[in-house]
Formats: sequence, C-alpha cells, structure tokens
Amino acid sequence: MGKFILQRLLAALVTIWIATIAVTILIHLVPGDPVRIMYGSFQTTPEELEAIRVRLGLDQPIWTQYLMYLERLVQGDLGRSIVGDQPVLDVLLTRFPATLALTVSSLAIAIVVGMSLGFLAAYKRGTWVDVGAMVLAIVGVSMPHFWLGLLLLFLFALQLQWLPVAGGDWRSLLLPALTLGLANAAVLARLTRSAMIDIFDQDFIRTARAKGLPRSIVLYRHALRSGLVPVVSMLGLQFAYLMGGAIVIENVFAWNGVGRLAIEAVLSRDYPLIQGFILFFATVVALASVVIDIAYAFLDPRIRYS
Amino acid sequence: MDDTRRRLRGLPALPGLALTASLALGATAASAQELVWARYGDIDSLDPHRATSTLSMQVWDQIYDTLLAFDMEGNPGPNMAESWEASEDGLEYTFTLNDGIMCHDGSPFDANDVKFTIDRAFGDTPSLTKTSWGPITDVTVVDPLTFKVTLASKFGAFLPFLADSFSSMICDSNTAETFGSTTAIGTGPFSLDEWVKGSEVALSKNPDYVNYGEPYDNEGAPHIDRLLIRTVPEAQTRLAALRTGEVHIAEPPFDDIEAIKEAGELEIMVAENTGQDVFWEFTTSRAPFDDIRARQAVAYATDPQMAIDIIYGGLTNREWCPVARGVFGNDQEFCKQYGYEYDPEKAKALLAEMGYGPDDPLETTMFVWTGGNRHKLAEIFQSQLAQVGIDAGIEIMDIGTMNARVKAQNEDTTSDEPGTFDMMTWSWYDPDILYQLWHSPGAYSGYQSPELDAMLEETRTTIDPDARLQKVQAVIKYLMENAVHIGLYSPGWEWVFAVRPEVEGFKVGPFLHPNFLDVTVVSGG
Amino acid sequence: MIHSSSTAELADDLATASAPRKRSFWRALLASPSGLIGLVIVAVLIFAALTAPVIAPYDPLRMAAGPRLDAPSTSYLMGTDDFGRDVLSRIIYGARLTLQIGVIAVGISLSCGLLLGLVAGYSSGWTERVLMRLVDVLFSFTEIVIALACLAIFGVGLTNAMIAIGIASIPFYARVTHSVVLVEKGKPYFEAAVAAGAGHLRLIFLHLLPNVVPTLIVIGTLGVSTAILAAAGLSFLGLGAQPPQPEWGFMLSSSRDLISRAPWMMIFPGLAIATTVLGFNLLGDGIREALDPRQTDR
Repeated sequence: MGKFILQRLLAALVTIWIATIAVTILIHLVPGDPVRIMYGSFQTTPEELEAIRVRLGLDQPIWTQYLMYLERLVQGDLGRSIVGDQPVLDVLLTRFPATLALTVSSLAIAIVVGMSLGFLAAYKRGTWVDVGAMVLAIVGVSMPHFWLGLLLLFLFALQLQWLPVAGGDWRSLLLPALTLGLANAAVLARLTRSAMIDIFDQDFIRTARAKGLPRSIVLYRHALRSGLVPVVSMLGLQFAYLMGGAIVIENVFAWNGVGRLAIEAVLSRDYPLIQGFILFFATVVALASVVIDIAYAFLDPRIRYS
Repeated sequence: MDDTRRRLRGLPALPGLALTASLALGATAASAQELVWARYGDIDSLDPHRATSTLSMQVWDQIYDTLLAFDMEGNPGPNMAESWEASEDGLEYTFTLNDGIMCHDGSPFDANDVKFTIDRAFGDTPSLTKTSWGPITDVTVVDPLTFKVTLASKFGAFLPFLADSFSSMICDSNTAETFGSTTAIGTGPFSLDEWVKGSEVALSKNPDYVNYGEPYDNEGAPHIDRLLIRTVPEAQTRLAALRTGEVHIAEPPFDDIEAIKEAGELEIMVAENTGQDVFWEFTTSRAPFDDIRARQAVAYATDPQMAIDIIYGGLTNREWCPVARGVFGNDQEFCKQYGYEYDPEKAKALLAEMGYGPDDPLETTMFVWTGGNRHKLAEIFQSQLAQVGIDAGIEIMDIGTMNARVKAQNEDTTSDEPGTFDMMTWSWYDPDILYQLWHSPGAYSGYQSPELDAMLEETRTTIDPDARLQKVQAVIKYLMENAVHIGLYSPGWEWVFAVRPEVEGFKVGPFLHPNFLDVTVVSGG
Repeated sequence: MIHSSSTAELADDLATASAPRKRSFWRALLASPSGLIGLVIVAVLIFAALTAPVIAPYDPLRMAAGPRLDAPSTSYLMGTDDFGRDVLSRIIYGARLTLQIGVIAVGISLSCGLLLGLVAGYSSGWTERVLMRLVDVLFSFTEIVIALACLAIFGVGLTNAMIAIGIASIPFYARVTHSVVLVEKGKPYFEAAVAAGAGHLRLIFLHLLPNVVPTLIVIGTLGVSTAILAAAGLSFLGLGAQPPQPEWGFMLSSSRDLISRAPWMMIFPGLAIATTVLGFNLLGDGIREALDPRQTDR
C-alpha cells in the first residue's frame, strides 16, 4: 500500500512540476512586451517600467526566471497581482474554501442523484423508467449548465424569493451546488447505467440468483459494489470537471470563489494572478486525485497492484 | 449586536442605574446599527497609492481622511489642516494641523504622518497618481502640528488635490507587509474590521473621529456602528436584495428605475456635480486617427443624446466639455461652439474625402470598460458608426486593462493594425486633469504638441481664477477643435443610488463621494 | 465541458466492431430513434445556417427593428431585445456562428489529437511514455483552464475562443486515438502487415488510420456538442463573442439584467443551445449504435 501511495504522490508532483513550467512559459507567449502590457498604465514612465522589469526578473533569461519562480514558490510567494498589487497566494486562499464547498457539495449531489438514477435505469432496463431516466440524462448533458443556473435563479431566488440572493452561507450555496450537481448527475447516470448493465449480465450475478439468494442481497452486496468500481474510478475526473464547471457557475451566482476570480483575471490580463490560478488549480486537482485514488484503493485492493 | 449585549451585561444590577442606563441606551440597544451598501465590484486595494478605481476610492473615503475637504459646491476648505499659508512665489506652503487627531490604532496623527504619506507617494514604488500631487520636491516637519511643502513650480490645483481621496493621509504606523491587503490604518470616520476579498469590506465606526471640515451635520463619530460594503455584481440581484432588506443602499438596474420610482418602495438618489466625464479619445500615432478628419467623422457620426436617452432615461446629461459640470472651466455654451453636433452626412463626407466609401469602410476597434451599462452605449454607437461606413469592433475590458491597452496602442507607431479609439472616463475635481492627460509625455502617451504643452503649463501656473479660466478655456478650445478629447456625457458611472426607506441622512458629496456621517437606520434595521 | 464516456470504454467498444458497410450503416442510423432525431436537429441547424439571409425576418443587427423589450408576438415570434432587435433573427444567424464554432474547434482538436495519438500509439517505449504522460498532465488541467490560458495569451474574442477550445480538447482526442491504436496494434491484420515488412508511414496511414476513423467520427460528433457548450460558456462570461455578434451564449449574458422584464431573452437562446447540443449528442449516440450493432440496448 505504501508503494502505491508513493507512486500516486510522485505522479501528482510531476503534474505540478509541469504546471510550473507551463505558467513560466505562458507569459512569454504573450505577443508584445509583457511588462508594458501589465504595468504600462496611467502615468507610468518608461523608467518606472524598467524598474518593474528588473524587480520581477523579466530581464533575465528564461532558465533563471524559472529558478527564481521556483525559489519564491517554495517560500509561498506567488507574486503580486497587477490590479491592486495584492499578494496572489493570499487572494487565492481566501476564495478557495468557497470553491471547494461548491465542488464537494456538487459532487455529493451528482453522486447521489446520478448514481441512483443510473442504477434504477439499469435495474428496470427496457421499461419506461429506463427510457425516462435516460431521456432526462441526455437532456441534462445537453443543457448548458449556466442556463440551468439562470433558470433556477430566476425561479427560486427572484420570483419565489425562497432563497437569499447574496451572502455566503449554506442557503446561498444551495442553488449553485444544485445547478452544477444536476448537470454532472446526468453524466454519472449514464455511466452508472452502463456499468450496472454489464454487471447484471455477468455470470456471478446469475449464479447468486440461482442459489436462491434474496434479491436485495444480490443487488447490494454483489452488483452494487462491483458496479461501483468503474464509476468510482472516474470520480477523480469528475472532481476536476466540477472544479472547471464551478468557474462558470460561480459567475452566474456571483459565488465568491477562485473561479470568478480567474475570469476577472483573464479579462484584466492580470498575468501574475492567472499564473497563480493555473498552478493552484492544477495542484488542487492533482492532490484531490491522489486522495480519491488512495480512498478507492482501500475499497478495492485489486487495483493497488495494477 | 453581540457587542452591545455584552456591554449591557456588565452594568450593575442597581434598579435605578439600570433603568437610566437602559433608557439612555434605548436607541441603540435594540440593535447595533448596521448599514449594508452593495456595489457591482470590489475595491482593488486598501492602499490609496495602488489603485485608481472609483470603487476603491469610495471606500478610502471612509477609512482615511484628507488635509482639506470640498464643500457642497466643490470648493476646497480646511479639514485636518486647520490653516495654511502660501509663499509669495507660490512655491512653498506651510500647513498647521488640528490638534488631537487620532489614528485608528491609537497612535497620534501629526506632521510625521503627512510626510510619511507624501514621501511614500514619490518613493520607490510610487503612487499610481503621483503626477497628480504636483511638482513636490520636499516635505519638512517643522513641529508635530506644522509642516512645509516645497514645489518646483507653481501648481494651481495643489490645494484642491489635498481635498481629493487620492491624497488620503496614511498613518505612519502602516509599515506592515499587509498594508493595503489586510490592514489599513487611517483617521477616517470608520476603521477597518476586515476585507474579505471579492465579497465585503467590513468597517466599524471610529469613536474618536472629529469632523473638522466635511460639509455634513454630524461633527463627530458616525451614528451607525458598522458599515458593510458588499460586492454584488448583478443589478437584478442587488434590486432583489434591496427589496428584501438584505441591502440598504445599492445601484439599481437602469431599466427598472421608473418602476421603482412609481412603486415608491425605494428612494432614488441621483448624484450631481460628480466631476465625471465620458469622452472619445483616439490613437493619434498612426492611421486612421492620425488624420483629424477621421476623428471628426466619429464625432459627427455618433449621437450621444439619443444613446443616453435610451440607456439612462433622463438620469444623465449631454456633456460638451472635456471637463464636467461643476468643475472649474465647464461652460456648456462655450464648449458647444467647438463641439460636433450629430451629423451623419458630414461624417460620410469627411470619410469620402479620406478615400473611404460604402465598399471600403473604415475599420477600427472601440475600447470600452465594464460597468455603467457602457457596453450598451457602445453597441448603439457601433450601430450609428456602421451607418456612415465605419466598421468598429467592440472590446470590453476592465478599466485597468483599458488604461494599459490605450497606452500600448498610442505607443505603437509601426503596427499595421488600424488605430483604435476609446470611450475613456475620468472623474476629476479640477481641470488639472487635462494637464495630466495631454501634457507630454501624456498619461497614455497620446496626442501631444508643444503648443498644447505650453498652454497646459499656463493652466497649472496661473493662480488668479479669472486669468486661469482664460487659459483653461483656451485648452478646451484647442482639444475640441483638434478632436482630441470629445466630451460625451456626464455623469457616467455609479451615480444613481436606490435607498431603503428606513435609511436617513445618506448623502453624496461633490465628485461622487458617498458619505455616511449623518446616516441613521430608523426602526432598528 | 463534460464528455459522456470514458475514453477506454469507447475505444474498446468501437475497436472490436468490424468495419461497417455503407448501406447497413445508414439504415441502422435512421432506424435508431436517437440517430434519427439527432440527424433531423443537425439538419435543421445546417439549413438555418445556410439560408439565414433568406429565412430571417429581420436584420439581426438592426436596432429598433421593433419596440424595445417587446414580448413574443406575431411580428416578433421570439420577442425583441433591449435594443429592439428581433430575437428570432438573431437566433437564426446565431446558428451560423454555432456551426462555425463546432467545425473549427473540433477540426483543430481532431487533427492535432489524431496525429499525436497515432504517433504515440504507434511508437512504443520512451516516445510513447513521454508523449502520453504529457498528454495526461495537460488533460488533468481540464479543458476550461487550458482554454482560459489560451485566451489570457491571445486575448478574448470568438475566433480566439474557438481556437482556444480546439487546443484545449487536443489531449482528449489524443488519448482516445492512442487507446484505439493500442487495440488495433494487437490485431492479426496489423501483425501481418508488420511481418510483411510495411514501412512506418504505410502502417500508420494505410492500416491504423482507417480503423481509427469510426471511433473518431463518433467522438468528433459528440465533441461538436462539447465545443458548442464550451464556446457558449466562454461567450457568456464575456471571453468569447463580442457585441453585436448574435452568438447564443453571448445573448444569454445580455439577458441577465433583464430576466424579470424580458424572460424570452433568456429562454430562447438557451433553448437553441440545448436543442443543438442535444441534436449532436443524439446523432453521436446514433452513429455509435449504428457502427456497433452489438450495443443496441445501450
């Protein structure tokens, strides 16, 4: 088990390392002079721009810049944003819990709703339940989730006024989590249905039934657990997709997370903030995958040796 | 609310005393007065030297104070500085401070703090608005209540600047790394509790605050206990929150203002004398706008009156001058003489002269910054321009980015891409803004000429008001005849407030400074 | 951006199917309900895009074509927006942009991803390991982050957004292609070709490529829907289409301030996106079923 964990951590580290290289290169891909683009604002003189260039180390060759970046990174310094000169790490960390709350609650909703629906559809394969569930699922997959968000916002918050519109407590988390969760539930429903159909067809299930085991035991102990395997293996991916989806949903509901921050950063070409965000995002996703993989390995010992 | 209850518990149980105490505290004991103000965006920084947005400035107004202050007509008068003397040659100013001013952390505010602020503005990482301070060469502390400022040349806008938020006085105890990000110590009516980035700035009243010169009734600390300034980007959401009472003051969606007025549920306040000017400016360093005819074509082809009528109803006004109503030098009649009335035929004629026509439209890009429904105005202008044969793409970005891109465009003399033009906005209390914008090298490295430079210098060094008016008007005439700075409308952003009925005493000072000194929340908020 | 299947599963399904015969493919496609509905929707989209100038009742850019914020009526079937422009005409012209987005974005991802996957899958050893490691890492960044990075570099706008989405999906197509190639490599016909001494290029383009194509047709079709959703999302955020383009996602963002007063501005563009994406999803599902009759009850 220890070796497995080590393997996964190493993989995550490689991902993060490549991310640092990518963000260092990013600023050099920008056409034009990055310092001028970033800091050449109202009243800045050419001398001030040069001073900034030296201070940021942008006059150095790219290898040196990369090493300087790593050095500062290890000390927890992700630089300062262009807008308002704020420390990037600070800005990201204060808004991250909101995104995490949104992602985790959406994942929970997606798992509960999606897997139940998919399981039900597989169990009642061929009936109206199955068809209905799958129609729902494919419509859910096709619908733009930000549109769903707008509809829900319109209905529940503005028209019916059941839920508060601003503020950061759990009640204002409900709508965004529901939006993102339901959108992803559709995907999970389809996946679960496929996986469960495979399981139901398999010999060991028929053997269990033939032995006369009660249906519920067959379902829960044998089918469900095996069926969960391929779906759970996808959870890491789903987490990443949800973090990405949160970027748009946070904007719809003005949820104060890193996703909304990222959009503002791209619109204002705040490169230090954009670089910080990309690195941060990659790190979170990589670490989350490690955690999920390890948890999954606890459940299914077979994969530790794969 | 919790603080009040805790304080009450500490009182002695003696009936008489308790009765008196509870009667005296009756007004505030019901609930700590908390006011929630929602705006479409967040501040950029708590440090007055690191941002220029109106959103940031309005919060600095609450935390910091200035040496001078504007009265309701926009004239600067004493505030933290009790009095001052200018030398004969206008190069030396000696100020005397009021005694006993306290910073939020308990340290005294004196001349050392002033020196700290000004030195910092000119230091290694200079203030973004350094040039606005004027040609200051030295600040000397004579004694704790007296200091002397030396200028390299006469500067007519010096005293007004000391009343503006960009000259906010920063206490010298602000030496921590966290200044501007999580800490900010000033002498203003409110002290900083917490800045939750992207969400809220939480302020508490400063009990030691003394109002020396601000034009409001309250001469001491604010009546409300807490001021919460929240970020709510969507106008509809702000309106919903106003209706439920979650929010007390906010800018409503423009399209709903008529309905709100009719329903009478909220009070609509429209600020005047905002000093805001929305104007066209162009990339004059290359084609097509190096040619005056192209610039004039854009001016003739667009009809600002129609656009603002559609988007803002009657809430804003056509502004012909490069400096806004309420600012020294503004005169609609004077400016209209040199302005460009809506005349699409003239625009077409000018374009034809340049060689453009229906088959060969003039291609360019219009920069606009976010907020204030400006993107909608941009679409209307785009449509009007298309009708005369100007193909203008629209690019919308935040103000910081637009500043940088305008500058980059101006400095690029070799590109093949057609030059751009933009709907720039500046709010300033004095025509000195024209100097800051157009005197070489120029705030955005834009249009420059030696002739204009000389005229602008005179506007700075002439102190006598009548003489200065002549100089300023000469500059305005020049800018408009050369189609360099073409006024569109004023006000333009964040000037409309919807206020809940239980809020009393909310006022907006000149040059769009919302003030909460007189505010009370009736019926226990 | 959510893909509806795991790459390995899809590759597996399709690679084991034999190459379809043309007539039975079309019959199978039209016979499946999803395939049929999908085909119809896509056909309508293409028709609308091609004939927009003819069938649109008004000029989509013309302001004050009607009264501002007018509810749907006989003259303006989908109402008017806050500039008085006809929403229906804008939706119809928006179909052109939607089609462009789908074709260009998928075109970029498919061609680059295909090449990458072919090369990686064909060569084994270090080349394959390094390439696929890189692809996996990029894939883990998620498509939206890669798209944001591209937009940060090149600036915003619809064209840039299309390209950004195209680039962002390359890892996905590379992985699918790679999986399929691995399966094909194990098959008898390939081993025979290798034994017969065929050169690298022959092996890749004459043997592997044709067998990868069916999978890619399915993935590509489904990918169009992903690209459309992604572009709509970016435009909604202000990073894609700029005014006055009648792009559906951008129209949605313009509707936000007016949700209460003019709900039709929000309903119709959203419906258009959902229907189009549904069409491509159904079509993709239908093609997959048609190519692999074994999977009929999936």
